[in-house]
Amino acid sequence: MCGIVGYVGYRQAAPVLIEGLKQLEYRGYDSYGIATMCDDISIHKKAGKVSDLSTGSSALQGVCGIGHTRWATHGIPSDLNAHPHLDCTGTIAIVHNGIIENYAGLKRELIIRGHSFRSETDTEVIAHLLEEVYDGDLLMAMKLVVPLLHGSFAILALSKGNNQLVAVRNQSPLVLGIGDDEFFAASDITPLLEYTNRVVYLEDGDFADIRIDGYTFFQGSLMVNRPVHEIDWAPETVQKGGFPHFMLKEIYEQPEVIHRAIHSLNDSNLPESLRKARSMTVVACGSSYHAGLIFRYLLESACGIPVRLELGSEYKYNPVPSSDVIIGISQSGETADTLAAIKKGTCNNVPTVAITNVLNSSITRHADDTILMHAGPEISVAATKSFISQVGVLLQVVNLLSGRSCDDILSHAGFAIEKVLLINFEEAVDLCSSADHIFYVGRGPFYPVMMEGALKMKEISYIHAESYAAGEIKHGPFSLLSSKTPVIAICAPGPSYAVMLGNLKEMKARGTPIIALGSEDDIELIELVDILIPLEPAHTYIQVLTATVILQELAYYTAARLEREIDKPRNLAKSVTVE
Amino acid sequence: MTVQAVILAAGEGKRLRPLTHNRPKSLLPVANRPILEHLTESLVKCGIRDIIVVVGYRKEQVMRHLIGLPVPVRVVEQKDQIGTAHALLCAKSLISHDVLVLPGDNYVDPASLKESLKSNNSVLITTHRHPSNFGVVTIDEGYITDIAEKPAHATRMTVSCGVYHLSHDLLDMISEHSMAEAVMSFITSGVKIAAVHAHEWQDAIYPWDLLCMNERLLRGITAFREGFISSSAVIEGAVSIGKCCVIGPYTTIKGPVVIGEGCVIGPHVVILPGTSIGSRVTIEPFSVVGNSIIMDDCVICSHSTVRAAVLGDGCTLGEHTVVSSGAGLLEMGKEVVQSSCGVIMGNGVFSSPLVSYENSVIGNDCYIDARNGLRLRSKVIPDRTRVM
Repeated sequence: MCGIVGYVGYRQAAPVLIEGLKQLEYRGYDSYGIATMCDDISIHKKAGKVSDLSTGSSALQGVCGIGHTRWATHGIPSDLNAHPHLDCTGTIAIVHNGIIENYAGLKRELIIRGHSFRSETDTEVIAHLLEEVYDGDLLMAMKLVVPLLHGSFAILALSKGNNQLVAVRNQSPLVLGIGDDEFFAASDITPLLEYTNRVVYLEDGDFADIRIDGYTFFQGSLMVNRPVHEIDWAPETVQKGGFPHFMLKEIYEQPEVIHRAIHSLNDSNLPESLRKARSMTVVACGSSYHAGLIFRYLLESACGIPVRLELGSEYKYNPVPSSDVIIGISQSGETADTLAAIKKGTCNNVPTVAITNVLNSSITRHADDTILMHAGPEISVAATKSFISQVGVLLQVVNLLSGRSCDDILSHAGFAIEKVLLINFEEAVDLCSSADHIFYVGRGPFYPVMMEGALKMKEISYIHAESYAAGEIKHGPFSLLSSKTPVIAICAPGPSYAVMLGNLKEMKARGTPIIALGSEDDIELIELVDILIPLEPAHTYIQVLTATVILQELAYYTAARLEREIDKPRNLAKSVTVE
Repeated sequence: MTVQAVILAAGEGKRLRPLTHNRPKSLLPVANRPILEHLTESLVKCGIRDIIVVVGYRKEQVMRHLIGLPVPVRVVEQKDQIGTAHALLCAKSLISHDVLVLPGDNYVDPASLKESLKSNNSVLITTHRHPSNFGVVTIDEGYITDIAEKPAHATRMTVSCGVYHLSHDLLDMISEHSMAEAVMSFITSGVKIAAVHAHEWQDAIYPWDLLCMNERLLRGITAFREGFISSSAVIEGAVSIGKCCVIGPYTTIKGPVVIGEGCVIGPHVVILPGTSIGSRVTIEPFSVVGNSIIMDDCVICSHSTVRAAVLGDGCTLGEHTVVSSGAGLLEMGKEVVQSSCGVIMGNGVFSSPLVSYENSVIGNDCYIDARNGLRLRSKVIPDRTRVM
């Protein structure tokens, strides 16, 4: 889950690497480090965030270097455990993203052979293994070492005296950026956008030899060609542009994002496997899982097609279901568990469809069909616009499968979201920011909307938030309700309205403060609840979207009031690339 | 010599209500692009690349828009909108050179800006029919001698456009809240401020002024056609049609007209010159639309005639709606003003069939339900009203 960058070219490498790491910070931010080559290898590494960096490290000299921002897997975040790692002699430096599963055994053997380890990481074994076989040709050494390693990894290495990078990829993402007389390597394309829009995606098992005068790819000992892709993401999209946080910026991008997501799919490009399916299985993690749950409610009621939903991490313990298609949803396209599910489907001859935001990500290469959600780069760790675009894509799938009955409704979805952006959350934030526990309740498709709302609150404000189907509250959680545990509920006119109102009255009788999302004209509801957040009467599809945005904003403003690190909540990373 | 530009876009523009409910005046679309965007384009055309925008009211909306501009723009916030000079001072830490100060809600052409950059300290001036809405200036031999901000009785028609070219050292002298007062104090302390005539300058004080601005800015559009256009549609003059639009059979469009993305227009619709249509707008058969600004997500049902209208986002006009231009007096806030328009609608207005409008202003989210028809003439209807 870490981020790596590399540079060879004519510029001073250190500033390029540092800026690149800042863009990759969403992948992990426990510690960071860079190494540059100039006569000797110089290294600067530290625990902490690269954005808090003091000026010292940019002064490292050299036009070739590697950098790393870490999300600790093996060993605590500390200066010593930060990458890059050196071998015993200081001639080889490496950075690594992923996990070396057999590192413990390798490490014991290396220690017996006399190597001394400085860190507790799995990565350091690679440096020492390279040292043993290195005789001036780093690429050859890497080719000898990689077969010894088990697990997932993307590695960048450099050696003393050469302006050359060696890159290896196996199940962890790595792209090569091609500039004019300069080359970049990174875990994803965001650090490259500022310099070039031409990229090459490495395949599993690829070695890349990158020098100032060119690059070559090898698959094993065979030289291979990989196509150059042009990227249409603009560099502005990865800047804050005056917004205090990326998350708020991304919330405000949602009206546009929803249009792009919905329009990206039409009758002609809907995957055939979805059109024919008589049953579906959706596999996803985190927010994407919630998008899948909403999809289940809506598709089952609109088309009568049974949808089974699985958490990516649990799917491997299930037998392959007999459904007609497996849909994997992952913003980054690199989520290890979801990726494993897609592979499992392919192995068992079940058609697979990936829904992802990143063109050419791992998942797109393993799935039979890909639907891109066109959300643009999302930097905030808490998913907002990517979630809305997932729901948008899935709503359009429901719409297409049910004979385009909702075209008119979906085409004005952005306008409905624009209206939500004008709501003032002051009062609700007062209530939420002073609470230790918050309960989110909803019924029907609003239940997963509430799950997503609670997840956002947990993620960024660190307030304990739980979501329940409203009917489940009485089966236990009711005992936790008190005057200090606010409940957030959706009580919109519709089939579940009367029951929901009853539930709220029961809670109110226990003195629980209630924040309700409901119609502004509903006098009974207004009298009952403490704070009413207006949810405009509209089609369920639209209300699912608007309620989601309301809860995103509530979480955001609560976290802002509590002065949390909103874009980079503690202990989290954006794409979970380890299982 | 490098010049920095500071665009003041923090104010709401209260007199443009109900249109400024969800965005400041500077973001109102004219010829389908916010006024602010036309202005930054003018700046880029005269070679100014270092642009700072002061935001305040609904700042997120402005920032979101600025990110998409082709030039990088820096943003500073003015927390309380207490004056233009105060707004300029909010950006002071970013200013290191001479500075061009512009109001974010006016259109100024590049030639005028170039002209004002020629003299060291200058104010752009023009003549206006209603000078008492502006700062009225007195000039002596090409230099300003007096600025009277919004006087009750204006003695001359020469007004300040609010565009100032100031040398860097003058910033330290500003202690007032309004730019006009600040300029007056420069003059009294002996600084010469040149008066430069603007070629082309457009401001919208009241919502109906947007129609005039729209007509002017439509002259500069580049015509392009995307989407699906029926072969029997007649399209004349400068017309730009955005992606994914569907222009039905026998539709007639006479430029200058701009149409955004994803609109469905026709069959048998007539669109007359001076019309800007936003994105995802539907215009049903047998309707006529002319000289209007129709913002995003509007629906105009069949057999309607719409002229001299400004429709906010997401408005719906029922079948057989008639909007015709008329003049009269309107009570806007606390003042009574002379107006001339068809209808000004805020966002999300729903209007049932058979309503006719003349010279009226309808607030945001109003619901006008007239089963047997209704005639609204010189009426102002406040936000969120239900008319039954």
